[in-house]
Amino acid sequence: MGAFLAKRLAQAVVVAFGALTLVFLIVRVVPGDPAKLIVGPDASAEQLESVRADFGLDDPLWRQYVDHLAGIVRGDLGDSWRLGGSALSNTLDRFPATLSLSLAALVLTVAVGIPLGMLCARRPGKLLDLVVSTGSLAGQAIPSFWLGIVLILIFARQLDWLPATVDGSPAAVLLPAVTLSLPFIGWLARLVRSSALEEGGKDYARTARAKGVGEGTIQYVHVGRNIAIPVVTVLGLLMGNFIANAVIIEVVFSWPGIGSLMVDAITNRDYAVVEAAILTITLAYIVLNLLVDVVYFVIDPRLTPEDA
Amino acid sequence: MTGTGRTGGRGRPRRRDFLAMAGLGGAAVLLSGCGVGSAAPRGALRAAFGQPVTDLDPYNAATAVDEASLIVKRLVFDTLVRREGEELAPGLATDWRREGDTRWVFTLRRGVRFHDGSEVTAGDVVACLKHTQQVASAQTPLWATVTGVQAPDDHTVVFTTDGPLGSLPVNLTLLFIVPARLVADPEQKRSPVGSGPFRVTDFTPSTSVELARFDDYWGGRAELPAVSMPYIAETSTAITALRNGDVDLLWPVPPDQLPEVTGVSGVTVETVPSWTYYFNWFNCSRKPFDNPDVRRALCQAVNVPQIVEALFGRGGKQMRAPIPETVAGFAAQQPWSYDPDGARRLLEQAGLGRGFSTSMMWFDATGPLSRELAQALISAWADIGVTVEPQSIEKAMWLERLNTLDWDMNLQTNTVTTGDAAFTIGRLYTSEANRLGYANKELDAVLARAAGAPEGAERDALYGDACGTIWSDAVGLFPVTLVTGYGRAKELTGFTPAPNNQPDLAVVGRR
Repeated sequence: MGAFLAKRLAQAVVVAFGALTLVFLIVRVVPGDPAKLIVGPDASAEQLESVRADFGLDDPLWRQYVDHLAGIVRGDLGDSWRLGGSALSNTLDRFPATLSLSLAALVLTVAVGIPLGMLCARRPGKLLDLVVSTGSLAGQAIPSFWLGIVLILIFARQLDWLPATVDGSPAAVLLPAVTLSLPFIGWLARLVRSSALEEGGKDYARTARAKGVGEGTIQYVHVGRNIAIPVVTVLGLLMGNFIANAVIIEVVFSWPGIGSLMVDAITNRDYAVVEAAILTITLAYIVLNLLVDVVYFVIDPRLTPEDA
Repeated sequence: MTGTGRTGGRGRPRRRDFLAMAGLGGAAVLLSGCGVGSAAPRGALRAAFGQPVTDLDPYNAATAVDEASLIVKRLVFDTLVRREGEELAPGLATDWRREGDTRWVFTLRRGVRFHDGSEVTAGDVVACLKHTQQVASAQTPLWATVTGVQAPDDHTVVFTTDGPLGSLPVNLTLLFIVPARLVADPEQKRSPVGSGPFRVTDFTPSTSVELARFDDYWGGRAELPAVSMPYIAETSTAITALRNGDVDLLWPVPPDQLPEVTGVSGVTVETVPSWTYYFNWFNCSRKPFDNPDVRRALCQAVNVPQIVEALFGRGGKQMRAPIPETVAGFAAQQPWSYDPDGARRLLEQAGLGRGFSTSMMWFDATGPLSRELAQALISAWADIGVTVEPQSIEKAMWLERLNTLDWDMNLQTNTVTTGDAAFTIGRLYTSEANRLGYANKELDAVLARAAGAPEGAERDALYGDACGTIWSDAVGLFPVTLVTGYGRAKELTGFTPAPNNQPDLAVVGRR
């Protein structure tokens, strides 16, 4: 297990390095001079040069890159010109809010998606199955920012059941979490359905039926355990998706997370914050994948590191 | 029970433990997710402005004239001179006088304390001015002619200028005073110390600002104990928050959203012509816009009143000068008459009888309905044979091209931050500024005289002349002044809508 984790960590370092390099290049290739955004259109050429020197923007790109990597090794991703202070601490201050929202969405997705998939598997081709199949396609086709606004208009403006924005109340998490999870509930339900149908036709399920075990017990106890591996794999991916999708949802709901921070940083060419935010999201993906690998062994102790 | 599917005695309890932990974790996460964002303190004014506050340092170049930051800074800091409506009023300075052409003397109020308990002295003012002069920002032109500042005693400040500077008192409405030892302290970005009616208790950049009343404020305690300013980026979310009572005050309500909050129970809507306006500049250094008749033709081809009415309704007002009419120095001009035939004739005289192709750049966030306004103008010009390529670009790219005059036409909003013509006309239209490729030595001379004139009829007349030259030379089309819509809870008292989008929230109370 130790060797397995070490190998995974080494891979993680390569992935993080690749992501950082890509982001470094992309944000600098995109037109737009941060110095002009800092001092505005009235600044003289000398003033612009002075700001560029302050932020190291007048160095050649390779030099900036080397300094950037050296900074990362020291845990210093630079300062945010727009917000002040360390870019990493600005990002980490906001990450718990994104994580909370993403986890809330994951809990919703699991709580609704898995039972729905099991129900569909018990009665394939019936009305519920058709509704879930069609609904999951529609759910994935709907843009999340549009869905968020529609939910606000219905549940906050018209019905006044829920707050439209963060107000410190417990209910504030519901609308953004539902917006994040809705497109994926049907997706998870379909995965659970197809896996359950496949497992339900296997020998062990037939044997259980022959022994007189009830269909519910077969589905939820025997089959349920055996579809856990693909479901956990998908949950890991889902969590990553939620963190990434939160970028838009957070803007719609004024959720004070990393997504709204990143949109603001990209618009204003706050390079250090964009890089810190992408690094944080990348590391979150890597840790999640690692967790999924570890969970495999907990779910099925027969598995070896090679299986993962 | 069957053993099928079980993985042995050791596996089963582990799985159960895991599932139980996952369930507990999920519940805990939901609860912790619910705690995100702080609830406004009891009795606080919840006020949402349409742009984020990113920084509270009064000398940060990036936010030197940023409206959102200025709203908070006016609550946290004091200035020597304040604006009360259209008049200048004493702030930290109780009075001021001009001695000769190049010397101003300001007397400071006694006994004023900063939030940290230290006394405000003339030395603090001197340090603040010197520091702001060192920072390259949009305020730089305001202080360029101030050559010296001295504090002969703790309550007197003397400014020396290298020529007459009539706008100094107005400019001082932007000089926020902090303790001298903190002028360059990075902590001022997040936890600034001022002497204003509120102090900062919590600040998350681009997200929210929490202020608490400063009980020792020299101007009397603020009406409400706290102000909470969340930033709500999405318009429909912000409108919903106002309608549902999640916020007490929302501004500016976009023109097309005014009907959504008008007539709503518990909500009052007030409007005031602002100091923010749209212009469409022509790049006068590029052909064919170097010909004034071509520029005039494009102005005549647009039915401005119709566009303003259709797009902005009561959220906009047709302009009659290159600055809004509530700005000091405004002088009404004859609006361009809508005359497409006349426009075609002018183009023909300019040798462009078949029309021509050009482009217009803007960034969507420049103001409300910017895209719609661009489309309306482009359609009008298409009618006289002028084909305009719309170039909706990002702000960073827009700024890059604006500075290098890499554009044919530029559509944007602009705000007269000080409420005085000197800030806009005196800054943008000189030959030296070269902001739109326009050079006019006569205008330069008028603007130089206006900059040195004290407040009064002569100064107004000079800026009036400048308005007339800019308007008749058609360096740009000036279609609409934005009318700021303030949506507020009916129970609020003492609220006065402000044309600069910076209402005094210290005097706002609750029934």
